[in-house]
Amino acid sequence: MFIGVTGYNHESSAALVDENGVLVDFYREESLSRIKGDKSFPKRSIQKLLITNNLKKKDIERVAFYERPLSAFLHIAKEASLHMPRSLSLLTHQFRNFNRSSVSCYLDFLKFFRGLETKLIYSDHHLSHTLTALAYTNTKKDICSVVVDGFGDRSTASISQIVDPTEINELWECPYPISLGLFYSSITDYLGFAINEGEYKVMGLASFGDSKSNSARLVRGLMDWDSTSNEIISDMSYFDYHLSTSNSFSNKLEELLGPARNPFVRLVPGDSDFQRCADIARGAQDLTIYLLEKIFTHAHKITNSRRFLFSGGVSMNSASIDSLAQLSFVDEIIIPPSPGDAGCAIGAAFYCYIKSNYYSDFNISKPSLFPSRKEIRNDEFITEQIVSNEFSVLQRDEDDAFLKAAELIAEGEVIGTVLSSSETGPRALGNRSLLCDGKNKEAVENLNNVIKNRSPFRPTAPAMRYEIAQKYYRLRPEIYECYKSMSATCKCFEENVSLEFPTTHVDGTARVQIVENNSSLDKLLSILEPMGIEILANSSLNVSGDPTCFDLVDGLMVCSRTKLRYLLTDIGLLKRKK
Amino acid sequence: MKKSQSELNVFYETAHAELASALEMLAACKVTESPKQAFGYFMHAKDEYNHARSFFEMLSKRGKRASIEIARDFRFTPPSLITKGYISKKGFLIETMNLKDFIAFVYTNELLAKSSFENILILVGHSTHESRRISSIMADELRHHGMAKKFFLNHYPDLQPWQLMIYRTKETIHNKGRKIYDANLKFLDRLLTPLYRAIAYLAGTMAMKLNLNEFKRKGKNLMNISSSSIL
Repeated sequence: MFIGVTGYNHESSAALVDENGVLVDFYREESLSRIKGDKSFPKRSIQKLLITNNLKKKDIERVAFYERPLSAFLHIAKEASLHMPRSLSLLTHQFRNFNRSSVSCYLDFLKFFRGLETKLIYSDHHLSHTLTALAYTNTKKDICSVVVDGFGDRSTASISQIVDPTEINELWECPYPISLGLFYSSITDYLGFAINEGEYKVMGLASFGDSKSNSARLVRGLMDWDSTSNEIISDMSYFDYHLSTSNSFSNKLEELLGPARNPFVRLVPGDSDFQRCADIARGAQDLTIYLLEKIFTHAHKITNSRRFLFSGGVSMNSASIDSLAQLSFVDEIIIPPSPGDAGCAIGAAFYCYIKSNYYSDFNISKPSLFPSRKEIRNDEFITEQIVSNEFSVLQRDEDDAFLKAAELIAEGEVIGTVLSSSETGPRALGNRSLLCDGKNKEAVENLNNVIKNRSPFRPTAPAMRYEIAQKYYRLRPEIYECYKSMSATCKCFEENVSLEFPTTHVDGTARVQIVENNSSLDKLLSILEPMGIEILANSSLNVSGDPTCFDLVDGLMVCSRTKLRYLLTDIGLLKRKK
Repeated sequence: MKKSQSELNVFYETAHAELASALEMLAACKVTESPKQAFGYFMHAKDEYNHARSFFEMLSKRGKRASIEIARDFRFTPPSLITKGYISKKGFLIETMNLKDFIAFVYTNELLAKSSFENILILVGHSTHESRRISSIMADELRHHGMAKKFFLNHYPDLQPWQLMIYRTKETIHNKGRKIYDANLKFLDRLLTPLYRAIAYLAGTMAMKLNLNEFKRKGKNLMNISSSSIL
């Protein structure tokens, strides 16, 4: 058995791969600690992997950490040192927190899982991303990997040629501090949203912006692609993320774009500052698409490949994937369901597996979108009193519960789901979702505004079968796999009724989920379609600011804290009493 | 400006504390083997979540009026629950304490929380919507304190009232100790900052001379790089 681990810099997680190359289990630390974006050493995740799979430490052959800790530390310190004394606060912070950085990974293993520290190995950060993405392809050879994120352990973007899983040659890199990911995060911060959490909001906001506006044009000029040297270039004087712990952008950016937005003021379409913010977001989105197209074009040029893996935090920018699929040389783009740092644990676990089977045959199985093993613990027993006091059980039998849930959806209700295993990635694909009729405007508004309290400019994703999606949306076969994990948006057909759906964004796009066969949503849709409901609006089951629900207790808590009334679970369909 | 900043700080820290309490109770709910206890912890967690939301709303109301520079410092990011020490790095209390100590902790701290809210009540002024909410939160805390006491006495009937008193005194001293430690740490931090900066400057001067180019990966098979190297 092989364990992959991420942590310290971004969301921490742990993955387990068995000796047959199968991803057996995967947990994000935030799911267990309930602290969104938890980046502490993933001790709960590792513990859970061991307990759930009945493993002892001696059963673990190797453990891989997803990056080279000292490299990450030194690259940041070296860059900051070039800008002293301005960067002194960052340097002080770096050196004072040296023992809390990923360098302490070994010591944390020693402290919490004594014995495993001797089995610890290290993978390159971007290699972990690449191997995660590679696991999700059908063929594991002759493909190009593009990784674009904020910062890895040495670069911020890279292109590699995968000959086979034992030969992955890096051909191009974008050195720190120039970073498309950190640029997008800086704009997120400038617009008053939290870094590593608000990037989705910027993407949603961009649809309201005008590419021709002055603000968008100014943002568009902050970075560029140098066709002579094939490098990303940027005027770093607009950014402070490489110099400061508290500011990601400099005063110069405020001089250019106007004052940053107060994070406590809610951004509502029609408000005085809304259009300026939307235009800035538009500029950031346009620049992201432009640079990604350049990176992919360069990747094709140097590898001749027509098939691409795309991972790293920037690949979560689902609004840019449709444009990439339209590049003439692209035959296929694969994005793993968890393309950010949390998903790297999967790649790190596969790194151990490949390293251990280097000279023999090995096989990497394509992981499920729902890999976590079901809780062994008896949820029904432990939640007995919570359910009996706070909820009514409408239906216990699974089929009856699904039928009743479908009827409620048809009546315009919103249903929460806590079914089977949870999803790998950040997007709820039906097992930990809030669902309602995707064509019922009132129900979608209820889900968005009353239950989730989401920003009014963020759309909700529609989920449906492939045959239904073909009627309404311009799907691209090159990114078919991406639709299964909601990793790409697509455009509605012109003059199509889908433009009026409440799940369609203001720019006529939607982040469609193509439902997998034999999934919970597939089962629900098979009951709903004869009732005339072919599209479900699907959002993650959580309260704003919290991680997506993990177990039944979390689901019951969301129901109790919000106006959600119904919960479809493995123990039946529940209705909140009060 | 300083007043507004300190006011924001009160709501910011209290919201953190309440949210951390909610997570502690939720964790307790998940590890207990008794459905009855699970229900008790669940309801307690729900109350604490609601309290946290109230304080976040009060923070938000004041944050809107603050300057952007100040407001940005009081944005909530969930991992700060750990970095600020509201949730221990070692784990949740239920994971690190025995049940008796955990209940004693809840029993004592609910009462201490109630008394700290009295100061916030003064801050928001009496007879306001916010003061009514805080009064209601104080009532909740008193109820939680009573429930913890009941639980404690039910499960440990041999305990004498004076023993409960000892638990309370011990925890009060712990709390005061934590505050003194925190204040000292901040004082020490201010005192030592110039030294830290001087060390960072020296280390930075050395880092400047580092040549990291030889660790570049361009043209290399990434699978062939040593897996034991941390650089």
